[in-house]
Amino acid sequence: MATTPRSGGSGSGAAQRPNGTSQNKSCQFKLVLLGESAVGKSSLVLRFVKGQFHEYQESTIGAAFLTQTICIEDTVVKFEIWDTAGQERYHSLAPMYYRGAQAAIVVYDIQNQDSFQRAKTWVKELHKQASPNIVIALAGNKADLSNIRVVEFDEAKQYAEENGLLFMETSAKTGMNVNDIFLAIAKKLPKNDNNQGSVIKPNGNEPTQTTNNCCK
Amino acid sequence: MANRAPMLRIGQQDLKCRQGCGFYGNTQFDGLCSKCFRERNDKQRKRLLIVTEKATEDNNDNIPSGPSSIAERRSPQHLLSLGRGKKQPETSQVESPSTMPKKKSIVPAVLQKTLKGKFPAVTNQQQQQQQQQPQQKRVPTATENQFMLQLRQMRLPDDAKHKLKSEIKRLDHEIRKYMNTNNAKNVDELSDLVQNAYTRFSNVVHNDPRFEMASSEDRDSAIDFFEKVIMTQNHNLLFSPYFTSDEESDVKVQKRIRQLSWITAKHLDCSIDEVNAEARDLVYNAISELVGIDSYYSPQEKLLCTVRCCRHIFELLKRATGGPASADDFLPALIFVVLKANPVRLHSNLNFVNRFTNASRVMSGEGGYYFTNLCSAIAFIENLNGESLSISAEEFDALMSGEQAFSTPWESALLACESLHLISENMKCMELLQKRNSMINTGITDFERELIDFQREVTEKVDTVMAKAPLTLLPIKTPAFLIKQARAHLAQDSVEAAMGHYQSNLLSGALSQHALSPKSKDIALEDAHNLTLKDTSINSVGRLSPLLQNQPQQQDQLFASPIFNYTPFDAVSLLEESSDGDVMMLGTEFQGGLTNINYDFDLSDQSGDNSVADESKLNLDEFDPLVQRPVATATPLLDTTTDSLIDCDVPGTAVLLPSPLKPEVANYRGFSNFDIPSISCNTGDFSSLGQDVNETMETNKK
Repeated sequence: MATTPRSGGSGSGAAQRPNGTSQNKSCQFKLVLLGESAVGKSSLVLRFVKGQFHEYQESTIGAAFLTQTICIEDTVVKFEIWDTAGQERYHSLAPMYYRGAQAAIVVYDIQNQDSFQRAKTWVKELHKQASPNIVIALAGNKADLSNIRVVEFDEAKQYAEENGLLFMETSAKTGMNVNDIFLAIAKKLPKNDNNQGSVIKPNGNEPTQTTNNCCK
Repeated sequence: MANRAPMLRIGQQDLKCRQGCGFYGNTQFDGLCSKCFRERNDKQRKRLLIVTEKATEDNNDNIPSGPSSIAERRSPQHLLSLGRGKKQPETSQVESPSTMPKKKSIVPAVLQKTLKGKFPAVTNQQQQQQQQQPQQKRVPTATENQFMLQLRQMRLPDDAKHKLKSEIKRLDHEIRKYMNTNNAKNVDELSDLVQNAYTRFSNVVHNDPRFEMASSEDRDSAIDFFEKVIMTQNHNLLFSPYFTSDEESDVKVQKRIRQLSWITAKHLDCSIDEVNAEARDLVYNAISELVGIDSYYSPQEKLLCTVRCCRHIFELLKRATGGPASADDFLPALIFVVLKANPVRLHSNLNFVNRFTNASRVMSGEGGYYFTNLCSAIAFIENLNGESLSISAEEFDALMSGEQAFSTPWESALLACESLHLISENMKCMELLQKRNSMINTGITDFERELIDFQREVTEKVDTVMAKAPLTLLPIKTPAFLIKQARAHLAQDSVEAAMGHYQSNLLSGALSQHALSPKSKDIALEDAHNLTLKDTSINSVGRLSPLLQNQPQQQDQLFASPIFNYTPFDAVSLLEESSDGDVMMLGTEFQGGLTNINYDFDLSDQSGDNSVADESKLNLDEFDPLVQRPVATATPLLDTTTDSLIDCDVPGTAVLLPSPLKPEVANYRGFSNFDIPSISCNTGDFSSLGQDVNETMETNKK
């Protein structure tokens, strides 16, 4: 049998098994990264994927598609992180990427007001077009340069609260809050063992996640 | 032909023509030799005419698989692609069995056949099968054989395999039914049908008790197999179906990409270096993979091919940018590659994968990610305008319509402008060399500076260390008891010396010699201590010479050779340690045998050569018997030297050289060395006499 490129994704099979014979629950989630170019989307992910565990990754050649597995409360959560091109000219292609995603991180640069505005448009778009249960996190990156910040923490925090987003200021350089934001997302994602939350139903329909038992 | 089981292993016999004519067969000729194949084909064609007629009659209750029904559902569009091997019309398959058929109903038939022997219990299904496919009298093709093999290798229970097989058959049936019965065909419905079948099969795999034993990997591989078989066998029906506009969009995209050939990497803000030969090679790798997508049947393989293509692009970007590329770099590069590759049937391929692969495949996983990128690249290409390339709308229009001339590095490199290409390459190379050169220059100056610093540092360090610990030579102390002993011996010796008249002879010889020795000693003393010790040995050798030949002018030569002679004797100094230890016990040793005494004296001499620490003692050992013999007459001199430096001793030797004991030492050495013959030559019996005298002296010493 031909080995699929997603051989690493076979871990999700355990979650899909309805009789749940495995001791640990395991879920797979698709996470999209949105944000203007050069706000540090990929450095953020690289920090999360490589900086913490130093383990071998399926694809080390690029930072566009990466996977990382974390454990919270005896649940194995596998993140499949899809990076998107941030340039304005590719903006219209974003829906293709966040189709079927369970989580999204919208990244902006705290030194760049424009990137924050772009982030807001993405959040709006996600609310409108993405699956209704999508967990969205807003990340103000480059927090290590907070002395020359343009976007105030409170302003972003307020915006995030109004729109029901997770919010953190991160720094891919120092590693500040990088793991925390992914952990927070993982906690917020529904992880009931029996549901096929991570399995995309045929025809591209989003699985209806009625039971939303957050671990938070 | 009908009764032949599929051959999975090839033996020697199988290579022969199946007709048994003795010639070798050919798989392309269905295992026949060329002659038998032609004969059979002729026969078959005749038979086919009859069969076709029958088939049209039977079509009412059977699955329509006859050539006539196929002809019905062929659209004129499909005739366009008939030339491509993949889409051979099924009519031709029946006519010439050598072509690779894509008939879906074949698969179950084949599976049935191989399973026949294994599971005799499944007769019902067999009967069904035979009812459904009365005309399946075919030898399986290579693809089918491969699937058979894969099915056998799968780690599934037999009944699970059977279930898998029947599910494949079922979906196969459904697809054919849909294609044949429904008049208003909608590709989405067909897609739903296939997707629902996938879901159903997935449920079966995960819930059916027959699959209980299988591991999750095996289940996945079963699902993969299911999809692959269905898709490969129904490729010709599902790939770009005639009732869709896939082919039109293919042509449209192809045309557009051709129009966009003026786009350079710069337009796309992409970091591909179009001129660099290495980068171009990697782009070609990516392009060949991208074009290759069309040559695979199953969506899985198409996705794998996409992944390979994208990996090449990442490789390329990694070299260009130095780090793992992000999507910001990757998508423009992919668009560039798609533009330069202009793959055939792009839309058909994408739609085929989108519609008929397991939906989770394109929604998640690496393959899904890259496939999404490919889709978005094509969407971008279809919708791009001047704004998206950061050029004005007018310029865009002019370029699109071909009004404005253009030349791209990519195109120029493709065309005959190899020399231009070379020039730009060389320029790059020169730039690089210049950079390196300046780097080397700075490196050299840095290194120079470092060297100077290092030198200064070292001298400073040495100076400080010198200042901290100056070299001071401490006086050498002579143990008092040794001096006493030595004095005692010397006192004895002086008495003995008076006794033998030979002694005086020796004395006179030795005197002449020793007049010279101080000179060498003085020189030696200026050197390091071990050198002094060596010198003493030289002296002792020198002492020999007068005995042998009273020719002081030859002394230099004499020094040279005895030293070498002397070295083998040094081997005795291996005993050095014990003898060193004995130095303190010299007194007791003296009470031992005669030989002991001589030996000890000489040994301590030698040990002095190697051991600096024992120097003082050894010097004493050596000198005292020699030196203090005359000192006995002048005791006050010795008294002054008792607790003083060796320097004081040396003048002592110089002054008081003529010692009756010296020949004694010399004689002894003569024993152990080659000096003996020369002694006998020069001094004759006289020396032997001297020996005797010495021995007697030794005994007296005791």
